[in-house]
Amino acid sequence: MILAETVITYAQAIILGLLQGVTELFPISSLGHSVILPQLFGWDIHQNDDYFITFLVATHLATAIVLFLFFWKDWMRIFAGMGRSLRDRGIAEDDTDAKLGWLLVAGTIPAGILGLLLEHSLRSVFASARSASFFLILNGLLLFGAEALRRRAPQTADDDDTRIARQVGFPQAFFVGAAQAIALIPGFSRSGATMAGGLLVGLSHKDAARFAFLLATPIIGAAALLKLPELIGAQGDGIRGQALVASLCSALTAWLAVKFLMKYFETRTLIPFAIWCVAFGLFCSIYFAVT
Amino acid sequence: MSSKHPALTWAAVVVGVLLIVVAVVYWIEPASSLPSFFPGHEAGSGHHHVKHGIAAFFVGVALLVYAWFQTGGDKKTEPSAS
Repeated sequence: MILAETVITYAQAIILGLLQGVTELFPISSLGHSVILPQLFGWDIHQNDDYFITFLVATHLATAIVLFLFFWKDWMRIFAGMGRSLRDRGIAEDDTDAKLGWLLVAGTIPAGILGLLLEHSLRSVFASARSASFFLILNGLLLFGAEALRRRAPQTADDDDTRIARQVGFPQAFFVGAAQAIALIPGFSRSGATMAGGLLVGLSHKDAARFAFLLATPIIGAAALLKLPELIGAQGDGIRGQALVASLCSALTAWLAVKFLMKYFETRTLIPFAIWCVAFGLFCSIYFAVT
Repeated sequence: MSSKHPALTWAAVVVGVLLIVVAVVYWIEPASSLPSFFPGHEAGSGHHHVKHGIAAFFVGVALLVYAWFQTGGDKKTEPSAS
């Protein structure tokens, strides 16, 4: 058995935690960066080993908790709306909280099923720094493509959730949710895929980001909770301290990232993230090819 | 059962209940004891396919919720509409 403390130091845990919080929410692939950076820095971390996956699970759980707390009031309204719709056996035309809640369910189901069924095989096949670099380039091109093909969002005076509920239908929510599954491949970004999907169905950048973050919360949280017993059990021996430190770092940067992005997308686009993905992916591809 | 699409609603109920039963089977039976037509069946394996069970359970519940909305009043917008 590999002793985690011999391969993940506390300094590395802090760096990986800070990185995870930012890259999970920025549309630049957290998994891709978590796979590439240790290789780039020459760290002897084996991304396919169970202890590393368990370590990442802790940081993901922290990110999910931060997202849930950030949108706490929205979630309470959404849960109340869903409760009303179940009681009334239908969604009232003006009940945007209920509509948004069921849109999130419609988007989470395909992502959850694809994630449960494909996660292990996809991750083990593609979890190398070289392939992650290549897919990072493709992620950048996907973001460029979404910007090029996006539909102009209608200008309305409605609040955020009302705009989303009016603009997105259940088939579109299903499509946007299913797009999250692409993030099982290291290098592709979950939030990038959902924001791109949101833009393609006619949401503004701000609404696409908001929908992406709401959609990400249950799927990241559930995936982390499913793996949590491994962190508590024997597989977490020698890694719990590092995982706790990394989770705290991840929570801090995730909070700052979501706060920044909700402001950023009021006026700006995915283009800088697309440029980063293509440039960093190209650099890493060349670096790994020559070293 | 009053519904806008009775056949679809009944199908959702039947498949939903079946999937919840399938989920329970996945949770309590090891891979070797699963029926051979179940995805994940593997002779001699003691592994429990918990994730398969979770996936089946949630899809089953989603289908029951769909049926629940379909049998509601006409004044609401059911989730199947876009």
